[in-house]
This record gives sequence, structure tokens and C-alpha cells, in this order.
Amino acid sequence: MPHIEKLLEIDLDTEKIEVKKLDKKMTSKYIGGRGIGVKLLFDRLPPNTDPLSNDNILIFATGPITGTVVPLSGRHIVVSKSPLTGTAFDSSAGGFFGRELRMAGFDVVIIKGASEKPVYIEIDDGDVNIKDASNIWGKNVKESTSILSNNGFKVSCIGKAGENLIPISSIMSEYTHACGRGGLGAVMGSKKLKAFIVRGKKEIQISDSEKMKKYISESMRLLNASPVASKGLAYYGTPSLVNLINTMRIMPTDNFRKVHFENAYKVSGEYIAENYDIKKKTCYNCFIACKREDRKRNIEIPEYETIAMFGPNSMNDDIEKIIQANYICNDYGVDTISAGNAVSCYIELEGKKDIEKPLKEIVEGGPLSQGSFRYSKGKGKEDSSMSVKGLEIPGYDPRGVLGLALSYATSNRGACHLRAYMVGPEILGKPKLIDRLSFSGKSGLIQIFQNISASVHSLIMCQFSSFALSEEEYANLLSAGVGELYTSEEFIKTGERIYNLERLFNLRESMTYSEDTLPGRFFGEDGISKEEFNSVLDEYYTYRGWNKGVPTMERLESLDLKNEGKFLCGKK
Amino acid sequence: MWKEIGKFGKKLVEGGYLSSHFGNISVRVGDGITVTRSGCMLDEITEASVVTVDLHKPSSLDLIASSETIVHREIYKKTSALAVIHAHCPFAVIESLLNDTSIEPYDSEGKFFFHEIPIVTGHIGTKELAQNVAKALEIHKGCIAKGHGTFAVGKILEEAYVHTTMIEHSAKVKYFCDLSKNK
Repeated sequence: MPHIEKLLEIDLDTEKIEVKKLDKKMTSKYIGGRGIGVKLLFDRLPPNTDPLSNDNILIFATGPITGTVVPLSGRHIVVSKSPLTGTAFDSSAGGFFGRELRMAGFDVVIIKGASEKPVYIEIDDGDVNIKDASNIWGKNVKESTSILSNNGFKVSCIGKAGENLIPISSIMSEYTHACGRGGLGAVMGSKKLKAFIVRGKKEIQISDSEKMKKYISESMRLLNASPVASKGLAYYGTPSLVNLINTMRIMPTDNFRKVHFENAYKVSGEYIAENYDIKKKTCYNCFIACKREDRKRNIEIPEYETIAMFGPNSMNDDIEKIIQANYICNDYGVDTISAGNAVSCYIELEGKKDIEKPLKEIVEGGPLSQGSFRYSKGKGKEDSSMSVKGLEIPGYDPRGVLGLALSYATSNRGACHLRAYMVGPEILGKPKLIDRLSFSGKSGLIQIFQNISASVHSLIMCQFSSFALSEEEYANLLSAGVGELYTSEEFIKTGERIYNLERLFNLRESMTYSEDTLPGRFFGEDGISKEEFNSVLDEYYTYRGWNKGVPTMERLESLDLKNEGKFLCGKK
Repeated sequence: MWKEIGKFGKKLVEGGYLSSHFGNISVRVGDGITVTRSGCMLDEITEASVVTVDLHKPSSLDLIASSETIVHREIYKKTSALAVIHAHCPFAVIESLLNDTSIEPYDSEGKFFFHEIPIVTGHIGTKELAQNVAKALEIHKGCIAKGHGTFAVGKILEEAYVHTTMIEHSAKVKYFCDLSKNK
């Protein structure tokens, strides 16, 4: 089988289920995952649709190498219009759900409409059913997953946060793997869709096994040789970043008012390794196994981002409190980055160093559950929201990582460290160390890394593969997977097409370039020069072929996006 | 930017990757290409040794730019490269004359990062060379123009430099291995 093609459309208004084929031209141009998701969203969602209305659509997508012999290929992605940012939004998770969805017979699933009563979708080896979820509605993720995962089903579900339409709610796969960002759990909740469960025995095919064997061997050599992938993350998991980030003085501390946390060691990967009996957990076909669990209690050890937000950024050095916060967020189905960042914002505005009370307010649907931007705006203090386009900033202070700063600002989905993943080159020196404290050359670099990431998220491969692999290896894996030659340049150009289409979606929603910026806190004497930032932003637009954040028709034509950009004609 | 170009010009000469003014270095800056001037000594670069030419089309400033600017421009037009180095690495040139279309590195770094290094044809400063090099670099990080020298790209100048040195290292290892085997 060449590209992904098996499309399932489910209308929860009418309970109509349709099996279709994806257009070959479309899959060739957008690969899968994020690319296909954004294309379907752009084509099918009318402008200004309320994200929590029946009209919004929710897309579960895999890529052409998902669940295959390719290492780090266990991820799936969910795409919709975000109730938090109002932008096109994709959010991905690891685990085993994506592979099982393909084994159950489908590559992409579009969910439309909304049910009147709680339901869940079950795909059992090609057999699709919409089932009553009344008995699990009102239950949290752990209990719901436990009920629905009998007989080998892989479960993606929402907790009470998604049911209550909290705009920072997540979709949780197999309990701990989160499609965390952007509030897509609330979109699921608005459709009264409690869960999506899959099981199957179908074979997942790739086009050229011999070539794939060669390309996997080449990729594995690079991954094994990368100390970040094969040693750092494999030994300590992502908390290995805590001491490093703190030493570099880019640790978000006290709601990004400081860059260094004195007691960081007490929440670090080293501290966890010394004080907990750790069990490693993995996603499908992954040798890194970055997830960690406390063996005694079977409770998850939080990821770096969660530690940064509920720890230093909330002035908390008690790792047990962070573990509990992570447990609560996962169980209610709430994004830990947005929730932790919102808690930090609460602490700044209320002056109380306590993470338990504000977190309770979030999961119970209080004002803070709306995210830091709406919460602080409600208090007339939106300058205290550390967010871009409404999405909370993750665990790296942009003042000390200037490429990441530009990447946060220009990201189509808001502040996200994964859009260009400058953590690799600017912080870890992988695949190549570049000066994190200089803007020089960053405008060109950021757009390339954003394009590469867009294609990686469409394959779909885990972001950690980028510590070792370049566009050349990704293009080879894709080519062998689909039986069609993609050069390194075509791989990057496909990412550029996806990035531009996301931008077009946002422009159609009336967003402007004024949102390509950072919170005021990061500018000024002790921070980033606004003048220099604006100059680099202009340079970035030049590289992109954009005029004040708007793609030129010439650039759209070169990306085969002329039709999609037609609405721009005549717009001032 | 000229200082950065000068830094790598010096490293290239000191490392024996080129001599006197045979080679050229460029960096993409927005819609322009800052490139070394024709005839400039790459280990003595000053602000006056570089010129910024248009990315999209030749202009009068091309008159003083490196004779290989046509190749640099084509690379930037066809790929996402942000830096290009052309050097006359001796072992790469030798291997390009001993092989037809590509060389397969024996050393582990070469195998890891290059997989194979294409050899392309075309005379110095010609459209044919520009097109062949750009086409090869749509897939690979570097290539060798037959009998002439290496063209390597990077997202930063340092990366293009690393790719240049890796090609030469792989060519050197291959040359001596083959020589030993044929004894």
C-alpha cells in the first residue's frame, strides 16, 4: 500500500458511518498526521465556527509509517479548531493507540456533529459502532480507561475536564499519553463523545521493505550515536533537563519573573533517580523509553514540562506535590503545561504560594480553568499571562534562547517548543550547537526547522528523533514507506506547505501578524530588545515570503496553495 | 557576517581544504547572498572581501563576486540551505576522478552522515554545473564536482564547514584503504 488512504467519517448527529478513501494527490502533498489533518480542517470547516459547536470537526490521524517497523513511530495526532486559541490546532500523543487504529482498519477518522447523549466510538477490527457511554460519563480518565480497555482495546478518552468543556482539557490515550495542548478534550466533550476505542489484527504495510531495512539501519546508527536520545533521555527521562535548564538560567521561575530556581535539584531527574524506585515505560517501538513510573505506587513521574510549570515556575520545590498535580491533571484530562502555567499566573496575581487550591479550581471549572490569558484578562491583568495566541508558554524562558523566542512568537498554534524544536540545537547542541544568545541567522533557521517539524509531525515520528535524524533520513524513511521518492528538499517543502496552510486557516479566522509576538515581560532592558526582535521578525517574514504575516500569492503558488489562498485577494 | 565568513575561510586554508583563492564561501541573508569576491584570499578576508548579491537574479555586483556565484545562487534557489562552501579538497578531487557517479564512504562518520557522496559534472562557473550541484544537494548535504572540488551546504556556516571536512576525510580514508588493498 502506498500512502495512507483509509478514511472513516462518523456523524454523531445522524449516527451515519461512512468508509471512504483519501485522495491520493492530497496524501502525496500532505503526507499524513498533522498535514492531512490541517488540510481536511481547512477544506471542511467554515470560517468563524465556534470550536465547541456541533459544526466543529475532530480528526484523529496517523501517518504512513505509524505502527510500522520504523522506530519511534507509535504516535497519532488529533486536529481540530482549538477552543483555547481559536487557531487550527494539532496535538499528538505516543503510546499504542495510533498503531492499533491502523490495525483496526483506518488511517484517518473524522468525527462530525454531536450526540444528544454520551457515547463512545468502538472500532473492532474494521467493525464500527457508536455505543452508549451513560455509565462512564462523569468518571475520570483512569476509571474510564480501566472499564473500556477490557479485551485488548486501546482507549483514547476524556475526563471530567473535557466533559465540562474546559478549554485546556486534553485527550488521554491509554491513561498517560496526552494529546495535551489546545483544549481538544473540550471539543470531544462538546460532541458528548466520552471515548474512542480501537482494536484490530490487520497488517500495516509499507511499500519497500528492503529499502526500509537499509534506511532504518542508517537511522538507528545515528540515534544510537546521539547521547541525548540513547543516554540522557534513556537514563533519566525528560526530567534530566531540570538541572541543565536551571544551570543555563532559562528555567521559568515565579511565573517567568526569574530565570533560576535555587532548589531546582529537589525536583530534578537526578533527585528522582536517587529517591524513587523507577520503572521505565515506553511507547510502541521505542528504545528511548522516556516515560517513568514510581514502581511502588504505579504512579507516573511527571515529564520535564510539568515539573517546570508546577515546580520552579510556581515556586514549589516539593516533587511529591508535582507528582500529585500531574496525577490529578492526567485523571481529569487537563494539559499540564497550560494548567501549571495558569497556576503560576494565579500565584503571581493572588500572592499565595500554593499549587493545590488553584489546581482544584482548574479541574472543577472555576475561572482559572479558562487558561491564564482569559483568567488574567478577567482581572484586568493580562500582562501576567505568559502565553502567545492564548497558549501558555512551556518550560524554557525565551530571553535566554532567542531562536525559541522567535519560534514561540511565530508559531501558528501559539507558544509551543515543538514547532521548531530549538531545544535540540540551542540547548542540547543536537544535531548542531548554535549560539542561543544571538538572533544572528535565526530567522532563516527557524522557518526551516518549523517546516521540518511540520513534516515530521505528518509522518508521524516522535520529536526526539530529531536529536539525531535530519531531513535526509526522514525523507528516506518516508520514501520507502510510501513507495514514492521524496528528496530532502521535498520533505522540507511539504512542511512549508503545511505551515502556510495553517497560517491561511488562522488568517481566515481574522488573526493578524500583531499576534506574532511575546508577552511584554520578555522585552526591555533585562530582556529582549524589541527593536531587534521586530527586525528579526521582518527578516523571518522575508524568508517565508510573507508580507506582515500574510503569505504572498507568489509564495502560495509555488507551494500549490493558490486555491486555498484565494480568500486573501482583495483583503487589505 | 564577513567576520564569520573570514573565520571559516581561515580554517579551510589552515586545514588544507583549499589554497590561496581557490574556493568560495557564501551565506544567505534574507533575499540576498553574501559571497566572497572573485580572487580574494580566503585566509585574509576583510569587509571588502565579500559582496552581497541578489538571491533571485544576477546583477552588476555579480561582476566582482566569486565566479561560482551562479552555483551558489542555484543552490539557494533550489534548496533550503542557508550557507554554502566550495573548496578544492585534494582527496575529494582525486576520488572524483577515480569514480564515476558517487563514492561510498568506508569510515563510520561518512557512512552515518552521508550514506553516499554524489559526483557531478560541469565546467567551472557554468549553468550546467550549477544545475547538477543544486540537484544533488536537494538530496545530499554535499557533493563533489568532478576534478574540481566539493560543494557543501548547511543551515549555518559551521555546518557547511563540517560537511566539507567530512567529505574530505571520507575521501582520504577511502583513497588509502583502496591503495592498501591494491598493493
